[in-house]
Amino acid sequence: MNILGMQTLFAKEVRRFMRVPGQTVLSPLISTTLYFIVFGYSLSSRVQTVEGTPYLHFIVPGLVFLGIANNAFLNSSSSLFITKIQGTVVDLLVSPLGPGELMAGFIGGAMVRGLIVGGLTWAVAGMFTGFSLEHAWVAAWFLLLSSYVFSVLGMLAAIWAEKFEQINFFPTFVMLPLTFLGGVFYSVRELPSPWNAISLFNPMVYMVEGLRYGMLGRSSFPPLTGAAILAGVAVVATALTYGVLRSGYKMKA
Amino acid sequence: MSTPALELQGLTKRYGDFTALHSLDLTIRPGEIFALLGPNGAGKTTMIGSVCGLVKKTAGTIRVFGQDLDKDPVSPRYEIGLVPQEINFDPFFSVAESLRIQLGFYGRRRDDARIDEVLTALNLQAKKDAMTRALSGGMKRRLLIAKALVHKPRLVFLDEPTAGVDVELRRDLWTYVRKLAAEGTTIVLTTHYLEEAEELADRVGIINEGRLLMVEDKATLLRRFGERRVVVTFEHPQAAMPEAGRRFSARLSEDGRTLTYVEREGCAPSGELLRALYAEGQPIADVETRHSRLEDVLIEILRGRPQAA
Ligand SMILES: Nc1ncnc2c1ncn2[C@@H]1O[C@H](COP(=O)(O)OP(=O)(O)OP(=O)(O)O)[C@@H](O)[C@H]1O
Ligand SMILES: [Mg+2]
Repeated sequence: MNILGMQTLFAKEVRRFMRVPGQTVLSPLISTTLYFIVFGYSLSSRVQTVEGTPYLHFIVPGLVFLGIANNAFLNSSSSLFITKIQGTVVDLLVSPLGPGELMAGFIGGAMVRGLIVGGLTWAVAGMFTGFSLEHAWVAAWFLLLSSYVFSVLGMLAAIWAEKFEQINFFPTFVMLPLTFLGGVFYSVRELPSPWNAISLFNPMVYMVEGLRYGMLGRSSFPPLTGAAILAGVAVVATALTYGVLRSGYKMKA
Repeated sequence: MSTPALELQGLTKRYGDFTALHSLDLTIRPGEIFALLGPNGAGKTTMIGSVCGLVKKTAGTIRVFGQDLDKDPVSPRYEIGLVPQEINFDPFFSVAESLRIQLGFYGRRRDDARIDEVLTALNLQAKKDAMTRALSGGMKRRLLIAKALVHKPRLVFLDEPTAGVDVELRRDLWTYVRKLAAEGTTIVLTTHYLEEAEELADRVGIINEGRLLMVEDKATLLRRFGERRVVVTFEHPQAAMPEAGRRFSARLSEDGRTLTYVEREGCAPSGELLRALYAEGQPIADVETRHSRLEDVLIEILRGRPQAA
């Protein structure tokens, strides 16, 4: 194990996004705040409560989740992809950093960014609604694991992508629809049939609901289901990324 | 003999139908400077990349200081440094930071003294705190070299290290490479400046179209394939070829002023020709000799001059 190598890569990743705080931290913060204002205020005049929770409160966990998922993914995918474009991936491939060390460095850095944005989102939202953290451990589990999962997925996307547009494929065509249909802004329970049944196949639903349970103390699904699904996705994505990195797929000529 | 620094057995690389390396066998001795020469597309970078973890080999075995890369691809890399052919840099970091990160990747603690040492050797000290994107092209290459050396690797690959650098750095780098080799570092170098290989290399490998055509001591190669051209200028133009010149199959210029003799291994030494010319009483104004350079040898070998010579 190259512990020092891993720490160096992690520190480098964190410093990289800290160098451009406007782009990496501030801009996602503004976009999340806009979600909150636009969706929250425009909808809350018509939708008073969702399953007994005031609408503004209801959307907070989902927004935190969005901030985490988007930024964790964006950080690991863009950082690793840029090394491919810029040629500095050579430094990583030549140095004694195995797949495990590479993953720890990139995922660690991306998780930090995701959690910073999630935390800031929560702080901003809290100013509108006040803070509520009913089951701290459940919330922590979902925060950590969702930032982890999306960091890993970001790495996979960066390994696979050969052009800039491809790196946006997953966020645009997979993440965006799944999160917007994933119960961030409404309860999937209250959707008309068959959409409520179809939504049950969307893994984002469980992540959002799990975090909602941790923060608000209520959700449409038992949090254990979400926790298990998230853990399953994490294990599969981790194994896949490790295998892909070890094989050199798309990273080596 | 001690363990080779690098051992390739049957190293083969195919890109689809195209074979970039045809079953290469090569042993690099510890502490030597080995120059890998060949035209564009010969497979030099591919060979280096296979050793350094940038290229997935199709077949064959690679051993670095005796360790088989198939068994452990990661730990031999602590011993390797690579100056890649293509310049790369991370614009987010300064020169010193880049080197600190590089040290960290190799599992080494922060060591500013070592960083200063490398920066001084490569004449980059003044740019220590400059951001990498603010360096000139040649300075970026110097940084690339510094990055490859900062962790004190025992086996260093320099893939065209002096492309685009000024004369001064080229000289500095040669001195530095010789110093590293004297301290026991093994160096594998590719270059299109044959002067560089001639200056530095202990041994030379010639590769073309993915095949190693020849591996030879530089001195032997120059002797075996090299030639000496002796040009004799007469005081007065000669009407006909002097008798001595005929005997030695020399060539007389059209104006009759100069006589050229090509001396190869196995030919009569040029001294005998000169003695014969003196004996004939030909007044000689000037004698010039020119040794062939690695460049001439390389061209001959690539043209496929019979190797039995
Ligand atoms: N990723 C790749 N896919 C397909 N072919 C490749 C790839 N990389 C290299 N090649 C081919 O392999 C051959 C050897 O290339 P290589 O880069 O090793 O040459 P080289 O000897 O380093 O040349 P140069 O002196 O120009 O640097 C070339 O014909 C090249 O086109
Ligand atoms: Mg090359």
